Amino acid sequence: MHRLLSPNLRWLRWTAGALLLALFPVFVREPYYITLAVNLAITLILTLSLNFVVGTSGQWSFAHAAFFGMGAYVPGVLASRFGLDGWLGLPLSVALTSVLATVVGLPIVRLRGYYLAVCTLALGFLAEIIVRQAVDLTGGGYGIQQIPPLFIAGYRLHGGSYYLLAVAALLASSLLLDNLKGSTLGHAIVASRDNPIAAASCGINVGRVKLTAFVISAALAALAGWVHTFYYLALNPSLLASDLTFLWYFMVFIGGLGSVPGVVIGTALLSVAPEFLGMATHNQVLAFGLLMLGVALFAPRGIGGALTGLLQTGRLLAAERSAK
Amino acid sequence: MTLQSILQVLVSGLQVGCIYALMALSFYVIQSATGILNFAQGEWAMISAVLGVVFLPFVPYPIAIAAAIAGATSLAILSERLFIRRLESRNASLVTIILSLLGIMIVARYGTALLFGQEEYPLPGPARSEIIEIGGELYLLPQTLVIYAATVAVFAAVELHMRRTKLGRSLRVAAIDPIGAQLIGVDLNRVRAYAFGLGGLIAAVAGWLYAPLYAAGYMIGVVPGVKGFIVMVIGGMASPLGSLLGGITLGLIEVAAARYFSSLYSEALAFVVLMGVLFVRPEGLIAAGTRS
Repeated sequence: MHRLLSPNLRWLRWTAGALLLALFPVFVREPYYITLAVNLAITLILTLSLNFVVGTSGQWSFAHAAFFGMGAYVPGVLASRFGLDGWLGLPLSVALTSVLATVVGLPIVRLRGYYLAVCTLALGFLAEIIVRQAVDLTGGGYGIQQIPPLFIAGYRLHGGSYYLLAVAALLASSLLLDNLKGSTLGHAIVASRDNPIAAASCGINVGRVKLTAFVISAALAALAGWVHTFYYLALNPSLLASDLTFLWYFMVFIGGLGSVPGVVIGTALLSVAPEFLGMATHNQVLAFGLLMLGVALFAPRGIGGALTGLLQTGRLLAAERSAK
Repeated sequence: MTLQSILQVLVSGLQVGCIYALMALSFYVIQSATGILNFAQGEWAMISAVLGVVFLPFVPYPIAIAAAIAGATSLAILSERLFIRRLESRNASLVTIILSLLGIMIVARYGTALLFGQEEYPLPGPARSEIIEIGGELYLLPQTLVIYAATVAVFAAVELHMRRTKLGRSLRVAAIDPIGAQLIGVDLNRVRAYAFGLGGLIAAVAGWLYAPLYAAGYMIGVVPGVKGFIVMVIGGMASPLGSLLGGITLGLIEVAAARYFSSLYSEALAFVVLMGVLFVRPEGLIAAGTRS
């Protein structure tokens, strides 16, 4: 019964969610909250894609900010220096980042343990150095300002209308990740994580499957970078800082690695709370680090794990009551 | 490319290399005994220099050095006691441990920024600061000579300690065969705490050596920390000698590249070399000893 209903329910749920999110700018018009919401949508794409590559595929990459930065810089540089339309920048940015991720991913997916962490960290540092030094192209430490905005039929996207674009990007990413879960590729990714030898004996090309997962997460980070560029219409090299990657990791981990609702709640709490508390960036990083250590010690499965625990207890209690 | 410029490159390359080597050694003693790559090593170096700036107005120089180094080392031991030991005893996943190590690093760095501010302060070295002139051609700071001497002393002391003392030997046994070590009565918890302390101590000494050449502030641990783990991965886990040679080689190449090519090459070099090494030998240049 559940199976018969689920496909329709699923579409209903997605459409309802999309409508609900799309209504936000109708009720909230203050630019400050719109910016907050756009930021949250961008960060959610990043943490959900991290959760996918770490939680579902079992690899960890500390180069996520490098892919995000590349996705931001490629269309930004092309638009401001060469007058390329921002919309054309989207496929270019995602494609170029995917190519880069494939090239560096080929050797990276063979690495395990600390070496994988060290190598991707090095890649992140290297990307930041290159962007800071290639002054002619990227503006170096000053970055690039006044990037031409996006237009739809002569209407300039900004504020509430840009928020809709950010939400569309977020929904597209979530839909992609959700569809992957039930697909052959999705099963192959999980199998390669849990038991690579058994997966290989079932005819799964483990290396290629891991690489695909790595590239998908990099491509989503590039999409987030594109959304970021044409909202702020400015670029600076701190977009590639590895501290950002750590922040996103802490969000994913505090939310609960592998649990999508947990990651969504964790990201929302951790990206909105510091804004309302008026925390300086440094103290924000510090607070996240402390929270991360606390979660690692006392709630290793994060908010998501705690929620599942609560739900299970609730169900048990309900079952007990109905049995009486 | 005159003889004078080559000599100058050798002098400063060796100085940078010594610091890299010491930082790599501090990673090495922890990784070889426990298998943990402790990302926070650079922060202990930074904290020792910042504590030095805090203590110096109140106490004589040698006491300030000793107190600052002791302070940073205690924090290193504390981080093991509070976090790593509990996670290891719970058999936490590697992702959890790596993220916790990064969490410790971040908390140490930005905690220092919160407590002591984001300014950079000068830290006087143990030696005088007049420039020494050799034959009217070559210039070097007394601090450079202090760095050379201290590097030799630290490496010799660690090597002797690992071979001659019971604690040092227990580190090596734990590195070779953790289960066998437990069978003959080595307490792995104690070994881990000791390795974190020794690694913290070496990093704290390195911080006191390089900070007088630049400044003391919350960000000064980042580059030496990153270069230290790169050198350790490249130099391999076979012996501390790999860290020494790897550090000096990287220091010389970087300074030469900055002098004769451009600073971009020099900055990016270490990362390119590291990725190259890992791509060819995913387990590091010299495989991780007998510990698999």
